Parts: sequence; structure tokens; C-alpha cells
Amino acid sequence: MKKLYRSIMFFLTLPLIFVSGCWDNSEVNEIAIELAWGIDKAENKKVMISAQAITPTRINSGQDGKVGESKDKPFFVVSGEGVNTLDAVQQMQTKLSRLVFRGHRRVIVIGESMARRGVKDIFDTYTRDPNLKLRTDIFIVMGGTANEFLKTSYPLENISALGVLGEYDQIGTPIEMGLLNFLHAATSEGACPAIPAVAIGMDSKSEDQQNQKMSSNSEGFRIIGTGIFNKDLKMVGFLNIGEGRAMRWVTGNLNKLTVPATIPGEDGNVSIILFKLHSNIQPTVQNDKLKMVITLTAKGAIRENNTRLDLTQTNNISLIQSALDKHIEETVSRTISRVQKEYGTDIFGFSDAIKRKNLRLWKSIRNDWEEEFREAEISVKADITVRRIGVTGPSLQLKQDEIEK
Amino acid sequence: MRLLRIRSRKKSVHNSNHFGSTNPPFPEDQHTELSAKLAINEQMIREVFQKCSDIIFRSISSNPEVLIVYADGLIDTKLLDKVVLMPILFEETPGGLEGTPISGQIIQDKLVAVSQIKTVSTVGEVTEGVLKANIVLLVDGENKAIAAELKGFEKRAIEEPAAEISVRGPRDGFTETLRTNSSLIRRRIRSPKLKMESKTVGQVSQTDVVILYIEGIVSNSVLEEVHNRIDRIVMDGVLESGFIEEFIEDAPWSPFPQVQNTERPDIVCASLLEGKVAILVDNTPFVLIVPMTFWTGLQAVEDYYERSIYTTFIRFVRYILFNIALLLPSLYVALSTFHQQLIPTNLLLSIANSREGVPFPTFVETLLMEFMFEGLREAGIRMPKAVGSAVSIVGALVIGQAAVQAGIVSAPVVIVVATTGIASFAIPRYNFGTAYRLLRFPMLILAGVLGLYGIISGLFLLMIHLLGLRSFGVPYMSPVIPKVPQSLKDVFIRAPRWSMNRRSAFLSGTNQTRIPKGQQPSSKRGKADE
Repeated sequence: MKKLYRSIMFFLTLPLIFVSGCWDNSEVNEIAIELAWGIDKAENKKVMISAQAITPTRINSGQDGKVGESKDKPFFVVSGEGVNTLDAVQQMQTKLSRLVFRGHRRVIVIGESMARRGVKDIFDTYTRDPNLKLRTDIFIVMGGTANEFLKTSYPLENISALGVLGEYDQIGTPIEMGLLNFLHAATSEGACPAIPAVAIGMDSKSEDQQNQKMSSNSEGFRIIGTGIFNKDLKMVGFLNIGEGRAMRWVTGNLNKLTVPATIPGEDGNVSIILFKLHSNIQPTVQNDKLKMVITLTAKGAIRENNTRLDLTQTNNISLIQSALDKHIEETVSRTISRVQKEYGTDIFGFSDAIKRKNLRLWKSIRNDWEEEFREAEISVKADITVRRIGVTGPSLQLKQDEIEK
Repeated sequence: MRLLRIRSRKKSVHNSNHFGSTNPPFPEDQHTELSAKLAINEQMIREVFQKCSDIIFRSISSNPEVLIVYADGLIDTKLLDKVVLMPILFEETPGGLEGTPISGQIIQDKLVAVSQIKTVSTVGEVTEGVLKANIVLLVDGENKAIAAELKGFEKRAIEEPAAEISVRGPRDGFTETLRTNSSLIRRRIRSPKLKMESKTVGQVSQTDVVILYIEGIVSNSVLEEVHNRIDRIVMDGVLESGFIEEFIEDAPWSPFPQVQNTERPDIVCASLLEGKVAILVDNTPFVLIVPMTFWTGLQAVEDYYERSIYTTFIRFVRYILFNIALLLPSLYVALSTFHQQLIPTNLLLSIANSREGVPFPTFVETLLMEFMFEGLREAGIRMPKAVGSAVSIVGALVIGQAAVQAGIVSAPVVIVVATTGIASFAIPRYNFGTAYRLLRFPMLILAGVLGLYGIISGLFLLMIHLLGLRSFGVPYMSPVIPKVPQSLKDVFIRAPRWSMNRRSAFLSGTNQTRIPKGQQPSSKRGKADE
């Protein structure tokens, strides 16, 4: 009888699983997969959210060999407006037959006007929602809106927004860290975030036409620099691409860099591809004045030598190294002093460096850090090691007597 | 359903009682002593064998009269003529005994040139002798009979076992004849320590069952348990070793086999050397080996014939594949319906593309295809060979491109099901593989209902079950849980033979040393002695 009782209990409990189980499942063809997300300013302090949703039937599965045949884009852009993000998503959902699935978002783009208005009030949902991933990159669309950016097609990538990730990777920045770095800088006491900026159109010519309304189907986009935010997460300034690279090297977010340098006393220039880029920020106080010593180290391979130097000679290598060091020191110092003077926002993470290295010093200066940052004396020291010189010493097209040993 | 089970159990108890009452199933006079009169004896034996057309009564009217009883077809009749009939019929009474009448003693001593002879004195023994391929000679005036073994029935030749194939290793397999089988083992282990204890199981069938072990190596507690469990069996007939297996296993409701079976004598011998016990059953080529552990289910014969480095690699492949066989369909269902975040973006896009227009939910789709695959497999085994090719052609249509093009299933599901199928065939022991094929379906249902949470719950339940399971007192997951470090040399890896120095503590008795240490070959080894 006990067994009978137990079996009755078993069969009564069994339906609990099937009746109450996780019926919140959704088939892959019941969701609208969204890979890129745009945030724009709308009227009355509202936000406009745009999403690049995938049309699965237009993705080339490859089995029919139809690559490139379908002219239709495999994505479309939907948008909605609302007082906050989820309100906008709800409005957006009225235009979509499938549930917006945000778990695979790779890119967040912010329109320039929205960035200038400030994003502090709308960024909560990107960390609160458990369905979202933090490994997302974040960009600012200079001279355009996020909606326009998402509508742009890109010749290399099926899903255009993924093209910007590739570009970002190619300029030597670690990808999938954008949102995380942004949030990290935003929560830091002194540091300010900086976000890479993109512009629609492949050629810089369109930069001249920036004021004109750009056609929505112009092909491609390019990374043009870095937008600088202040502590209120409002965009206050802009660095060009070279300055942006210098900034990333100082913060330690650069994987590779090509540096051209003119050699003093030589007729010509040298290009080096740098890898293993590191930086070290050392704060000191001299005469009651904050002094930062930034040491940039890198190893490199020379891939272009338009001088007459024979690179198999070590004295020529050290000549090149010192020329490169000088060039880098100048570029980086110029960038830092421009940020100090024009914006006064610590996008280099100096405050965090001081906090890590000298907590007492940080505690004494943190109340007027902005002032201290503007006044700080920065010295940059570069230390480049040439590791490889390529397969020849001197250039092959030179005659024997033209080569400088 | 539970109610039914209880009822059926009661019924079976009743049956066995009933069975006990008719035990033995022979006529009551089976213990009747033979009389001195041949006519009475013949009368009694004929009564026992009435309506048995294959039992031959051959009477020879010599002086005194001799009656030979045997079962036609079990006896080598040519030999019978030569060694029994001819001497009695034609030859003179051997020298020194002229004049004396032929008596039973003389027949046994001088006339029947057969090696195995015994004297029987009851009707029961006579009938048993006849049924076990003996000829029985009854002589008038003797109250004893002679049973001489003259086995000569048709038997299959020794062939390579079809279910357990190896590239390297011996090619002989067991046959349906018990003695042939035991000879295959005796040929490999030429030691008086190899013991073969005979038993008879089956009230009607009277099947010979032989328990094999190596004295000194076997664990006595396991051996005793085997004896006890086999002695307990009461059933009408044993037609295959599976009949015995179901009576002696520890957990009858477990999907996992707790008794290993094999057709290969080399596997049996290797197991005996490890300290296991083998059970040979007459009329089947499948020999049972106990105790069985989880890990023996994943070991193939060839693991021990190939070199250890390659075998270790193959074992890793096998372990990965058997996890795939259990989990791949359920993981696919769970990830693509509950946790799309966990699929790489590009893979998700191509899954989304191929799922467009598919009418069923992923769960139903996968269940359907798995079901079709199992159906195809089953049909492929049972089909007569002549129509076998038809099954494979139609099968390729059902589970394949045609189904995808028809828009009934999506391509990833076909790939998942096919991969799972291949993976499940990579499990070397057939009956162990079936356990996994069976468990795939509950896992699939759990995944379809509860997602990854369901899979994890299922794995937990499986773990709990496996850790509690025992085979003849040996923990099923040993030597991993509980851990016996020395025995781990033959679980995830296969260590070189010279380093497997000791037998498993769980399996073997007191003598655990297997291979003395210090035999690792090297170019320097042995030179120091010169």
C-alpha cells in the first residue's frame, strides 16, 4: 500500500514539471535578432531607439552558393521613441512581428546630438537587464544620427554594423571592451570616458559635406577619432584619429600601431609596426606641483625604410630608435596638453594611476582633481626597441656607394 | 501501472509455488530403482519417453539381452556403431572370459570403448543421461545401467564474433556449445587454478551453467555471491545467458547493464585475470562477466592490443563521443529555444536562417528525428538481409537532405541527429550503448521543458543513480568514485602494460600483484647485469 501511495504521489508530482515548466521558451524563428542598437535624441527630452534587426531568410546560408546574389540587405532598421529606453522599445515592438532579442547585441551607437545632450540618464538598462551582454562595443556617430548609421550598408559585411567592429579591431584596439571600459571610466572617481567616433561615408570628402543631410544609403563608414566625455557623460570634445591612438596607448588599450618618423640629418623616413605596447604612469610631487612621468614602451618591426641607412648596422638602428622615440614623445605630449588645456577631462586614467600608486597623494588632491589635472606637468618618455628589420639591410634599389654604413 | 506490477509479482510468487509442487517435472517414478529384469526397465523407460519420436530403443538379442537407449541427433551414430554395437554384436567375448555370459561389468570394462562412462541405477538417471547426449546400455539381469557419453550433435564452427570486431587480436568467438567455449578459455589459461564449477539451471530445460574463475585471484565474496544468486534461480528454461542476467543483476530497473556480456574468449580471459567471474551458459555464445563497472562499458578489446599512447588518445575521443551521444540533442534544443545568448552570433544567424518555414518547434523536430533514427536503426537490424539496402536508401531520404528540402525539418537538426547517431555507435559495448540511447530521450524532454536547468537536473539524477549503483557489491563508478588511484591507470588513460602492476582492489581477492615492477623497457635495461 505504501508503494501504491508513493506511485500515486509520483504521478501527481510529474505534471508539475510539464504544466509549470519554463514555457517562456522562444523558437529561433520567433525572435528578431538585433545586432546593433542606436540611441538618438528625440524631442521633449525623449530618446529614439533604433535597432538593426536581422532578416534570417536573407542571410546566405552558403549551401546554394548564392553568395552576393541577393541584393537585398539581410537587415532592416526599426525605431521607436519614448521617455526612456524600454518605453521606446515597446513602441518599436509595435512594428515588429517578432520579439526583439537583444542578447546578441554587438554594437551600440550614439548619435552626436544625443552624446552632447548626455547619456547619464539612459544607461541604467544596459547593465540591469540580464539578457544583455556587457561585451558590447560603443561608438559615437559624428555628424549624424545613430539611425542613419544603422541604415548605411557596408561593402564587406553582410550586416553593416559589424563592419565598424572590424574597423575598430584593425586600428589596434581590443574589441568587445567598449561598454565595459565606458562604464569603468564613468564609475571612476576622477577619470572620464572616451568613446571612438565614426562618420558615415568612406571618403573624408563627405566630411566637407557634413552639414548637408547625408543620403541614407551612402556606402560604408570610417573611424575618425575619439569623442571625449566629461563626468556628466556629456560629450565635450573630439580627438582626431592620431590623438585617439596616443590616448589609447597611454591608457594601455592599444595592440598595434604604425609609426612613421623622419630621421634627423637624413633625407627620408622610416615606418615601424609596433607591437607589445605598454605604458607606465608614475605620479610624483615636485615643488608642490603634480608631475606625471609617462613611460611608453613598445617593440617593433621596421617595414619601410626610405633612407639610405643600412639597417644591419646597430648605430643606424639606435639612430632610428631615438628618432621614433622623439616623434612619439612629441605626439603624445601634444595630445595630452591639448586635452588638459581645452577640455580638462581626465580621459587618460591618470586619477586611477595615482590612486593605485600613491593613495595618500590621491586623497589630498581628489577634491580639486580637475584643477590639478589641468595644471599637472606631464613628461612623456618613449622607449622603442627595434626587433626586426625585414629581409634586407639597405634598400635594394640603392647603389653600393649610396648606402650609408 | 504500479498496481499491475504488484499484482503480477503476486502472480509470479504463486507461479513459483505451483512450479515447486510439480518439481521435478518428470514422472513420479524418477527415483525408482532399476529392476533386474530388462523388460520391466524398458517398460519404465518407454513410459517416460512416450511420444518422444527422437528417442531410439535398440535392443540386441544377444545373451543376455542388451538394450541401448539414446536420443537421435545428439549422438554420434557412426561412433556408436563402431565402438558399441560392433563389439557387442560381432566380436567374441574377450579372451579369458569365454563361456561366461556378458554382464554389465564386462560390457563396461571390455566392450564399450568410450572414455566417459558412468553407472546409473535409477530411471531418473537413465532419462537424464539420454537427454544429455549419452547412450544408455541396459543389460538383462543387471539392476544397473551404463551411461556412455557419445556426444555428436551438429554445431557451428568457431567464427569471428559479429558484434565485437577488432582490427588486432584473436578472431575466434564463442559458439553455442558450452564445451567448445570452455575449451577456448582453457586453451588460453593453462592453469589448474582456473576452476569451472558446473550447475544446472532450468527445471525443464536442464541447462548447463558453468561458473569460471581463477582461484587465488578471484574475490571470494563476489564468487560466493554469484553462487548464491545462481542457486536461487527457479525457472522453467534458460535459452540464453540474458535469462540468467536478469535474475542475478543488482538493480533490475536501472538502464545501465550491471553484467557484462561478450562473445570473445580473450575478453573473458582478461576479465578472469583481473579477478572477475565468468558465467558460461550452454546454447549461447554470450558469456556473462561480473562484476561490471561503468568504465568497462567504455573499454574495447583493442585498447589492450594496441600501444598505450594511441589507446589513450582513442579513449579521449570515445569519452567525448559518449557525452555527445547523451547530450547533443538536448543541448541543441535547450540552447536554441531557451538560451540563444549562448550560441555564437554567426551560428545563431545560420540556425535562424535554416529554421525559417519549419513547421514544428525545435523540440518536436528533434524528438521526431531522434525517433526516426532509432526506428531506422531497429529496422536495419531486424530486416532480412535481402531488403537491407532498401532500408538504407529510404533512411537516407527520411533523415537527410530530402527532409530538409521538403521543409519538414531544419538542416542543423539533421546534423545533430546524425552526429549523435555516430557518437552512440562509438560506445564499444553494445548493451552499454543502448543505455545511453535510452537516456537521450528523457534528457531531450527535460531540455525541451526546462532548458539547461533541465539538463543539469537530469545529469544530477543520473549521477545520483550511478553513484548508488553496485554490481555484485562493487561500486559501479569505481575506481573513480570511490577513488583507487592505482586502478586509475586503466580508466581515462591506458597506461603501458608494464606499469599496471596491481589488480583492482575492488575486483580481485588477496593476490593483487599482477606484473612485477621495474620492467619498463629501455636500451639500458638489463645491460648492467652483463
